[in-house]
Amino acid sequence: MLKQALLAMTLTLLVTTAGFCAEPAKPAAPAPPAVAQGTQGTQGTQTTQTTQGTSAATAAKAAAPAAPAAPARVKPNRVITSTMFLAIIGITLCVVVWAAKRTTSAADFYAAGGGITGLQNGWAIAGDYMSAASFLGMSGLISLYGIDGFMYAVGPMFSFIAILLVVAEPCRNAGKYTLGDILSFRASPKPVRAVAALSTVTVSLFYLIAQMVGAGKLMQVLLDIPYRFSVIGVGVLMVGYVVFGGMKATTWVQIIKAGLLMSGTVLLAFLVMAKAGFNPFSFFESVVNSQFVQDHVRMNVLKDPLPKPGFDYGQRFMEPGLFLKNPLDQVSLGIAWALGAAGLPHILMRFFTVPNAQEARKSIVIALFINSTFFFLINLIGFGAALYLTPQLISSADKGGNMATLLLAQKLGGGAGSFGGDLFLAFICAVAFATILAVVSGLVLAASAAIAHDVYVNIIKDGKADQQTQVRVARLTSLFVGIAAIVMGLAAEKENVVALVALAFAVAASGNFPAVMLSLFWRRFNTAGVVSALVVGTVSALALVMISPVMTYPQKIADDAKKIIVTLEKRQAEGAVLADKDQKALDKARADFKKNDGGTSMVGLKAPIFPLKNPGIVSAPLGLLAAIVGTLMFRSRRSEEMFDEIEVRQITGLGIAKASDH
Amino acid sequence: MAATSYNWNEIAQHPKYLQLKSKKRSFLFGWWIFASVYYFLLPILSGYVPDLFRIRIVGAINFGYLFILSQFVVAIFVAIYYTRVANNDFDRLTAELVREIQ
Repeated sequence: MLKQALLAMTLTLLVTTAGFCAEPAKPAAPAPPAVAQGTQGTQGTQTTQTTQGTSAATAAKAAAPAAPAAPARVKPNRVITSTMFLAIIGITLCVVVWAAKRTTSAADFYAAGGGITGLQNGWAIAGDYMSAASFLGMSGLISLYGIDGFMYAVGPMFSFIAILLVVAEPCRNAGKYTLGDILSFRASPKPVRAVAALSTVTVSLFYLIAQMVGAGKLMQVLLDIPYRFSVIGVGVLMVGYVVFGGMKATTWVQIIKAGLLMSGTVLLAFLVMAKAGFNPFSFFESVVNSQFVQDHVRMNVLKDPLPKPGFDYGQRFMEPGLFLKNPLDQVSLGIAWALGAAGLPHILMRFFTVPNAQEARKSIVIALFINSTFFFLINLIGFGAALYLTPQLISSADKGGNMATLLLAQKLGGGAGSFGGDLFLAFICAVAFATILAVVSGLVLAASAAIAHDVYVNIIKDGKADQQTQVRVARLTSLFVGIAAIVMGLAAEKENVVALVALAFAVAASGNFPAVMLSLFWRRFNTAGVVSALVVGTVSALALVMISPVMTYPQKIADDAKKIIVTLEKRQAEGAVLADKDQKALDKARADFKKNDGGTSMVGLKAPIFPLKNPGIVSAPLGLLAAIVGTLMFRSRRSEEMFDEIEVRQITGLGIAKASDH
Repeated sequence: MAATSYNWNEIAQHPKYLQLKSKKRSFLFGWWIFASVYYFLLPILSGYVPDLFRIRIVGAINFGYLFILSQFVVAIFVAIYYTRVANNDFDRLTAELVREIQ
């Protein structure tokens, strides 16, 4: 009954969405928004300081309703693109139907019955890391800011080392389905599971909302469908995958997407290098010698109206500091990566889908290979986009550079309007779509596992629930989590979601990571320690982000608008007649000023108090300290006695939870 | 559940287990710390010693670019080296231990 109702709902919404894709293009397309998401909380929105009057209109907030000028636009061929999207939806739905038949127990639902191999899991984990933000955002960042964008790629790649060495195998040996399973092993199960579930849901939902908003905006640009419909469409598919197919479907959707994404990336990078004659030295030589790159660095990035004599603006593109200005913030971001990724619940969950620690090890090594290849190729694509498209064109399509990969695919496929160009662009669009679907599904699954397995089965039912009930509850929970994500995604359309991603990582690094590590490696660690690590880690990260520069500060927008008004009014006063574009910019700046002057951020601040965008450097030590203090204040003999068991289990894999046992 | 049949405290005193544990611990934490230090050199050096990153090595390619690439090499090296040690030493010791207690 439940199944049928869900199926009907999914289908109805699917057809509606598909119908929208097939409709002819609407004349008034929205301005390309920034894909304001990113696994590292960086993109776009922070580069919105407006400068000279002429560029003010396009340089204004990415959320501007309509850009007056007609900048470069990504215009996919609707027929080809829709066909590709439908093909992806079709293939993934087949996977879901296949997986649904094989999902009968809780182990099937949460851990794919332990039947995923190391190779498959490696692709799935790699897929979790390759979000639309890294695929589109990172190459865009490189194409606009050079080497700084490439530096971002190192964090995600390096986070595998901590996972490989100290997290994956011990967790596989000692855990079962969720973060709560590991943390509650030798602590009082109920309070620990409750806190762990709360933390998992928080982290996953933050991440999820950021992805949903990014997805909505991306689909809006690619297919010309309204934001609402793209969020609902993505949401419905995501709910369908998780509710019916559980971990099995989620994993396979992720594997398929990772395969598609890697093929697209390899092909694009190959075309870039082919155009450069497969000579990396002359390739980079041409990048720094490009007149467009030099002008972009001089005028748009460094804002030198006149060239400084003897300064090599092209070579500056290859030097750090164009985008990443605060070194301390970079270290803080590094902490979020190095520790946070290892504490993300949706990554943690993937270790339980393989049969043993050896396979978990293999999957991380494979994921590391795939991702380092991917990020290396993204660097070629990014620099290739700067060379073959020019940064000017890329930033006219989107301030944050998010359209760089798409425009490059179109160009190298044969150019706009050609069949090859349309085909390649459509393929890359479809890959981006598949990427979003796969990543959000994993997040929904992690959040609902925490609610269904930790809260319902283990707290409410004391672990006494038969398989059928467990699966039913898990499905219902996924449905509700999915609906909640859709609703929040719709509500957050105009919100600044970059903060949410920074937050998810900071919470994982400051709360989850110390709790997991100390559970596995410190004899004295106990209930009080787990709870204080999670609470202090989460609260401090949350509080620091709330007062950090990633929040929106209306007063700052007003001040920026004021600058434009002053510049343009001065020009008017000098007797110059403003161009149409400038007049519009002036009107907009006046409106912005009126709306935002005297305004305060969400927590009532005019300016940020905490100077860093990433709180990790402060919140991670706080979380660790809280864990130690909490543990020592409330010693627990039982926890210490049980340490031998968890340690022997994590080191040897004896008594490992086999998915088929349950 | 099969898990209850083990005497965990007894295994925890087994000489073979202690050997495995200390070997694993020093290897894993040692390499983790090494890798982390190397990783954090990137934001620290690029932020505080940007001149180092500007040194040109081959044509337009400078030290900074090569240093970023070296991060990839180090990560892959650690992963491969760990896999070798784990497959050969840790798994073998674990298997011997399991044989002895059963």
